[in-house]
Amino acid sequence: MIGLDVGSTSAKRVTIEKGELKYNITSSQNWRDLVDGIDCDEIISTGYFRNSVPHRASVTEITAAIHGVRHYFPDIDVIVDIGGQDTKVIDIRKNNFMINDKCSAGTGAFLEFVANYFRLELVELGRLHMNAKRIPDINNTCGVFAISEMISQLVAGYSKEEVIAGMHHAFARRISFMIPDAEKIALIGGTVKNEGMVMALKDLLRKEIFIPPEPQIINALGALKYYS
Amino acid sequence: MSKIGITALVPPELIFACDCSPLDVNNFIPESRKYPRNKLCAWTAIWKEMLIQKEIRIESLIVVAGGDCHNALVDGQKVAMSGTRTHFFFYPFDGDAEYLESQLWRLSDFLGDIKNPDKFKEITNLKKLGQDMDKKRYNGKINPGEAFRILISSSDLQSDPDKFRKAISSIRENNIELNSRVALIGVPPIYHDFHDVAQSLDLAIVFDELPYEFIRHGGNNIREIARDYCNYTFARPLEFRINFLQKELEKRNIDGVIHYTQFACHHMLEDEVIRKELDYPVLTIQGDLPGKTPEQIKLRLEAFREALLRS
Repeated sequence: MIGLDVGSTSAKRVTIEKGELKYNITSSQNWRDLVDGIDCDEIISTGYFRNSVPHRASVTEITAAIHGVRHYFPDIDVIVDIGGQDTKVIDIRKNNFMINDKCSAGTGAFLEFVANYFRLELVELGRLHMNAKRIPDINNTCGVFAISEMISQLVAGYSKEEVIAGMHHAFARRISFMIPDAEKIALIGGTVKNEGMVMALKDLLRKEIFIPPEPQIINALGALKYYS
Repeated sequence: MSKIGITALVPPELIFACDCSPLDVNNFIPESRKYPRNKLCAWTAIWKEMLIQKEIRIESLIVVAGGDCHNALVDGQKVAMSGTRTHFFFYPFDGDAEYLESQLWRLSDFLGDIKNPDKFKEITNLKKLGQDMDKKRYNGKINPGEAFRILISSSDLQSDPDKFRKAISSIRENNIELNSRVALIGVPPIYHDFHDVAQSLDLAIVFDELPYEFIRHGGNNIREIARDYCNYTFARPLEFRINFLQKELEKRNIDGVIHYTQFACHHMLEDEVIRKELDYPVLTIQGDLPGKTPEQIKLRLEAFREALLRS
């Protein structure tokens, strides 16, 4: 049996063989590579395309996230799943969830704007953040207009590293508005691999933050666990 | 019979008693393909444009300006300025029945006075049939989607009491399995297939807040309807509405609540209070332009169904 998460930007496959978790990741368009030779009866799907790919059973990303996170952290209060096109906040205690998919300012797409502007790979943003000596205020809540504000801060003399740190803080602030008061918060999704963004979120929330070893495969793992 | 446009709940028994026929202008919105030029809420912006461009044919318009929203108040004035004879109707926030009675007499004057007082009783009896149908729905005897289609049309009784009566009698009774029993509160969704989508995802909507208000009120003369409609929950303070909701949710054995909100609608601001006060799992969704239920909303509904199964 495999857990298959075909999301807006990437596809992930998870199996557990003899107790060992194995995974593969590719772009969403190439999801077929992940199921080559696998019978659809062996697939538990999740993600935006959960119902478009062959599957034995499908489950939403919200439920998958709960099962996936519990594999690592059984008593978490709130899950924040920062994806490429949306951010989901799941309050496990109240069995409630919120999704932001209307505004890019709280999603991975926002950080892609930033990386594209500086002609950087997404993964470089976190490393550059660590070299910032000051953090400029970036207040605009619109992802597109925040870029204009970022340029103004460059004109004002802030370095690239500092402006990136400012953008991470603006991004984290936006997400923090969605997060209910909780003691134990798990972060998942590919964007969580950006250590600058995580640092900004920790600064703002000042709560216990838990991040699983491979945060981008949690929903695929959760789909698998959901059916097991 | 003069066709009178209404923008929200206006006592249809009074309109019929004045020998006029009501037409709820919101009925045209969910199937509309219009992209209004200057909009906040798509509901009011679209009826405004359709009325100005004479795509909805009415003789006069009644705008619910107190107890509805300021978008309707402003868009109603634009319709009035385009040359449509318009009356602005105000519900009292404090439930003052005498104030509402004075409003209803003014409305009666606008409509040319009561000519057929028997209509009060006829419409009240029709609404009782609607209430019976609603009860059968939450007792699993009537398909929730079919019941909704009748209930939502009871604001204007399909402009024809006989047609409305036939529509109710055409509903077939069955034994329906209601797995996840859901209440839909707030303004009605702007998506024309919303109830069908919810049903396909095993969410049985057994309470539609606003359509229930359409069939809940009545009376045999202006004095009586004033004393009943003054408790129209959407016009009253939030606390009054929440108390009423709590009783209805309990009566209907609800598992979860869907709070539908409309983009740029003041009801969105009520969401945090509703979530805090109602002791049920609450899914908040927000719509904007009409059409089919978008995939993002379907994801939320599907996830909500999964959440209800977990609880």
